Amino acid sequence: MDLLQGTLDLLVLKTLQAGPTHGWDIAQRIQQVSRDVLKVGQGSLYPSLHRLEAQGWISSEWGASDNNRRAKFYKLTAAGRKQLAAETESWQRFTGAVELILKTN
Amino acid sequence: MLSGLRVRLRALFRKAEVERELDEELRFHLEKETEQNLARGMSPEEARRAALVSFGGVERVKEESRDVRGFRFFEELWQDLRFGARMLLKKPGFTSTAVLTLALGIGANTAIFSLVNEVLLKMLPVRHPEQLVLLDWSTGGQFIFASMSGSITQDPETGLHIGSSFSYPAFEQFRSQTQTLSDVFAFAPLPQLNVNEGGQAEIASGQLVSGDFYTGLGVQPVVGRVIGPDDDREAADPVAVLSYHYWRSRFGLDPDVVGKIISVNGVPFNIIGVTPAQFYGGLEVGSSPDLSLPMMTGPRINPSPTRRSEAKESWSWWVQVMGRLKPGVSAEAVRAELEGVFQQSALEGWQAVPPARRPPDYGPRELPGLRVTSGGRGLAYLREGYERPLRLMLIVVGLVLLIACANIANLLLTRASARRQEIAVRLALGASRLRLIRQLLTESVLLAVMGAALGWLLAWWAKDLLLMWRPSGSGQLQAHLEMDWRVFAFTAAVALLTGILFGLAPALSATRVELTPVLKENARGARGSLSRFGKSLVVAQVAVSLLLLAGAGLFIRTLYNLHSVELGFNPENLLLFKIDPRLKGYKGEEVGRLYEQMIERFEAVPGVRSATLSEYALLTNSGRMGPAYVEGRAPLSPAENNVYQQRARWNYFEVMEIPLLAGRGLTPQDDGRAPKVAVINQTMARVYFGGENPVGRRFGFGPEKSGEIEVVGVVRDAKYQEPRQESPSVAYIPYTQESLGQTTFALRTAGDPRQSVEVVREAVREVDKDLPVFAVKTQVELADEALGQERLFAWLTGVFGLLALLLASIGLYGVMSYAVAERTHEIGLRMALGASQGHILRKVIGQGTLLTIIGIAIGLAASLALTRFITSYLFGVSAMDPPTFVAIVGLLAVIALVACYLPARRASKIDPMTALRYE
Repeated sequence: MDLLQGTLDLLVLKTLQAGPTHGWDIAQRIQQVSRDVLKVGQGSLYPSLHRLEAQGWISSEWGASDNNRRAKFYKLTAAGRKQLAAETESWQRFTGAVELILKTN
Repeated sequence: MLSGLRVRLRALFRKAEVERELDEELRFHLEKETEQNLARGMSPEEARRAALVSFGGVERVKEESRDVRGFRFFEELWQDLRFGARMLLKKPGFTSTAVLTLALGIGANTAIFSLVNEVLLKMLPVRHPEQLVLLDWSTGGQFIFASMSGSITQDPETGLHIGSSFSYPAFEQFRSQTQTLSDVFAFAPLPQLNVNEGGQAEIASGQLVSGDFYTGLGVQPVVGRVIGPDDDREAADPVAVLSYHYWRSRFGLDPDVVGKIISVNGVPFNIIGVTPAQFYGGLEVGSSPDLSLPMMTGPRINPSPTRRSEAKESWSWWVQVMGRLKPGVSAEAVRAELEGVFQQSALEGWQAVPPARRPPDYGPRELPGLRVTSGGRGLAYLREGYERPLRLMLIVVGLVLLIACANIANLLLTRASARRQEIAVRLALGASRLRLIRQLLTESVLLAVMGAALGWLLAWWAKDLLLMWRPSGSGQLQAHLEMDWRVFAFTAAVALLTGILFGLAPALSATRVELTPVLKENARGARGSLSRFGKSLVVAQVAVSLLLLAGAGLFIRTLYNLHSVELGFNPENLLLFKIDPRLKGYKGEEVGRLYEQMIERFEAVPGVRSATLSEYALLTNSGRMGPAYVEGRAPLSPAENNVYQQRARWNYFEVMEIPLLAGRGLTPQDDGRAPKVAVINQTMARVYFGGENPVGRRFGFGPEKSGEIEVVGVVRDAKYQEPRQESPSVAYIPYTQESLGQTTFALRTAGDPRQSVEVVREAVREVDKDLPVFAVKTQVELADEALGQERLFAWLTGVFGLLALLLASIGLYGVMSYAVAERTHEIGLRMALGASQGHILRKVIGQGTLLTIIGIAIGLAASLALTRFITSYLFGVSAMDPPTFVAIVGLLAVIALVACYLPARRASKIDPMTALRYE
C-alpha cells in the first residue's frame, strides 16, 4: 500500500520514539508493525530522514550496529517530540473526520 | 532548529564528508537487505540484485537526499561555476575573444556612466543635500536691474529668461524674513584673482561667500576653520579658506598653512582653513574655486571702481542664493513666501537706479517671478550643457555593447550546436532542461563578469581622457571621476544583464533537442542550415554598425568642415595670454603706459614678429556687446541691434592679419586726446549702414551718443565667438580711448608659438615681477578647444563605429564558416555531381551577401530615422548626407564580402571524395 504524502515523516518519528536506531531498522519496523501492509520504499525513506534532520526534528550519529558494523543512528530531538505530538493529534483528527463521513449512510 | 541549520551548513561546507557518509549509510542499508535475502535462501548474486531492485535508483535517492538539505542552490551554483570555468579554460581562443569584446563594450559604458554619475547624479558632498534649494528667477519681459553678473539663460521651450543672481539687499531680506528656510546663504564667483604668496604672484579662481555659507551647507574644514558670520562683517579682518585642490597644488598640503598671509589683488588675507577634498569648494558641479573669501571683502578686492560702489545697491544683482528647507516644507511654500519679498526688492531697486545708470528704455517693467529648485546636485547651469551630449554618448556605447552581445551570442550559438550531443546525453540521463539552461547561463554570466572586470580597468584608464572634453558653452570639468559604488553597481548590473542577454537565446536553443535523432547520430552532432536566430543576429549587427558608422561619418565631416572654415584671420603662430595689472593696483594712465612698455619688450623678444593686445581673445565665446545707434538712421529693432566692441591696439589688424577693405586702419595717434574713432567689420557695415559707405559716418553705444564715434575704416569679417557661428557685427575701438575690463596679449611668432612662452614670461618679470602671466594659449589651441565637443563625438563614434564594424565582420565570418563546416557533405556531393568551384563560391557568398544587404537596408532605414536627432550637432553637412552614406555602405559591403569570401573559398576547395567519405 502506498503511503500518503507526508505520513512517512510521521511514521518515522513515531518509530524513533521507541529509541535511536538506523534507517534499515526503521523500514523493517514499520513493515512489521503494520503487518506488511505498509512497505516503505527505501527510495523515499532516506530523503525523509535527511529532511527531518535538516528540520531539526531528529539528529544522527554514527554507532556500531549488530556484528559491529558502522551504521548511522537517528534519534528524536526535543523539537521532534513536540512535532510528533502535534502531527499525531492532527492525524487522529483527520482520520476521525474521515471515519465519520464514511459511517454515514 | 539550530541543529537543523548546523546540518545544512555542514552539507554546504563539508561537502565531501557528507557525501561519503551518505554513501556509507546507503551501503549499510543494501548490505542488510542482502543479508535478509540470503537468509531467505537466495543465492548471493540474486540476493544483492533483489536488494538493489527493491531499493530503486541509488543515485536518485542520493540526489533527493541532497535536495532536502537546502542550500542546494548555492551548491549547484558553485558546481556550475567550476564547470563553466573549466569549459572556458578549455577554449582559450573563444574565451579571450569574448572577454575582450565584452571588456570594450562594458568598459565604454562604465566610463561614460562615471561621467553621468559625476555630472548628473551626484549630490553635493554636504549635509542632507536633498534639503537644499536654489533660488533664481525667470521673466518674460525686460530686465529690472541696472547691472548684473551671473548667468542668464533662455528656456528654449517657454522663451523665458532665467537668471541666477539677486541683489545683496534682496539676499538679506530673504534671510531675515523667511519662515520656511532654516538657513539662507549666498555666494558669488570671482573673476581671476592675483594671489601673491611669499613673493610669488599667480592667478587663482575664487568665490565670495556669506558668513553662513559653510554652516548652511554643513561643510566641516579638514584644517583650521571655515568662514563664519563674524568674518563676514565690514570691519572684520580679511580671511580666506582654501579648497583642498589649491592647498595641494599651491601649498603642497602644508599643515602649517593656517595663519599664513596671502595677498589677494593687493589686499592681505589671513588663511584660516581648508575644505575637504570631496567638496570642490563651490556649488557648481565641476567648478572649483581655489579661494573662498567673505562676501564683505568683495568690494575691497574688486578692481572695478563702479562694481565696488554698487555692491550693496538693490539694482545691482550679483549674488546667488541657496537655502535649506525646514523639515516638512516644500519648495513651493518657499516660493510662495519669498516671491513677494523678491519682487518688492526688485521694484525698489528699479526705482532707485541713478539717472546715469538708467538704460535708454527706462520705464515701468514686468516683475520677474521667483523660482525655487532643488539645489542638492549643485547648480544646474553646467549640468544642462552636459545632459544632451551625455545622453547621446550613452546611446552610442549602449549600441556598441549590444553588438558585442550579439557577437558573443552568435559564438555561443555555434558552440552550443557543437555541444548538442553532450547536452542530449545529459538530458537523457535525467537532467532537467531548466537545470541545463541555468548551467549555460552561469557560464555566460561568468564570461560577462570577466569582461566587466577587464572593462572596469579600461574605464579606469579612459575616464581621464573623458575629462578633457568640454561641451561648448561650459567650462572645463574640474572634477575627478570617482569609481564609486554607483558606478560599480552599474557595471555589475550591466555584466549580469549582458550575460543573460547573450546567453539566454543560445541556452534555450541548445537545450531544445530532439533526443533520439541526436543520440543516434555520430559524434559530429546535428546538422542543418544556420538557425534563423543566428542569421538575425548578423543582420542586426550589420544594421547597428551601419548606424554607428553613419554617425561617425557625419561627425567626422562636421569636424573637417569646422576645421576648414575660413576664420578671416590667421590663427597660426599666434600666442595669446593675459596680464591683469589692475589686480596689482595699476590705475588709469599707468595701465596704458605699462601695456606699451610690454609690447615694446615683446617685440624685442627673438622669435616674436609683432605684438598687440585686445580686450578679448577671438573664438573664446566671450566679448563685450550692446546696442549701437547710427547718426541719421533709424535704430534697429532691439532683437537685431547688437554690436561686439573689440577694444584693441592700433596694430591689431596687422598682427591678426585681418585685411582692411576701405578707409584707414587705427593709428597710434588715435589716443585718449584724439577724436573717438572705430574700424568696423563688413557685417556691421552691411547691417548698420545698408548699402551706404560707412567711412566718415558716426555712431555710438547709446541713443543719445550716436554722434560720438567716427567710422574710419572697414575690415573683412573674422570669426568672433566660435568657428560655427557667422561673424557678428564688430566695432574695433582703440583701447586708448576706452578702458579695458581685461587684457589679452597676442604675439605673432616666427615659429612654434609655444617655444616663446618662457621668454615672454621672462620679459614680463623684467617689467614687474609681481604680474603673473596667465591663460597662456595658442590661437590654434583655442580654436581646437572650441571644437572639443565635435572632436569628442567624431572620435567616439569613429572608434566605436570601427569597433562595431570589426565585431560585425567577425560575426559574419563566424556564421559563414560555421555554415560551410555544417554543409561540407552537401557541398562535396554537389561538386561530385559536377558543380564548379565558382558555383560553390558564388552560392556561399550569395548567402552572406543577402544577410549583409538586409542588414544594410535596416541600418539605412534606422539611420535616416535617427540622424535627425543629431542635426543640431552637425555643421556644413546634412543629416542625410548622401556621400557619407554611400561611403559607409560601400565600406560595410566590402568588409562583409571579405568576411564571406574566406569561408566561401574554403568551401570551394573542398575535395568531394574526402567530403563524402567524411560521413
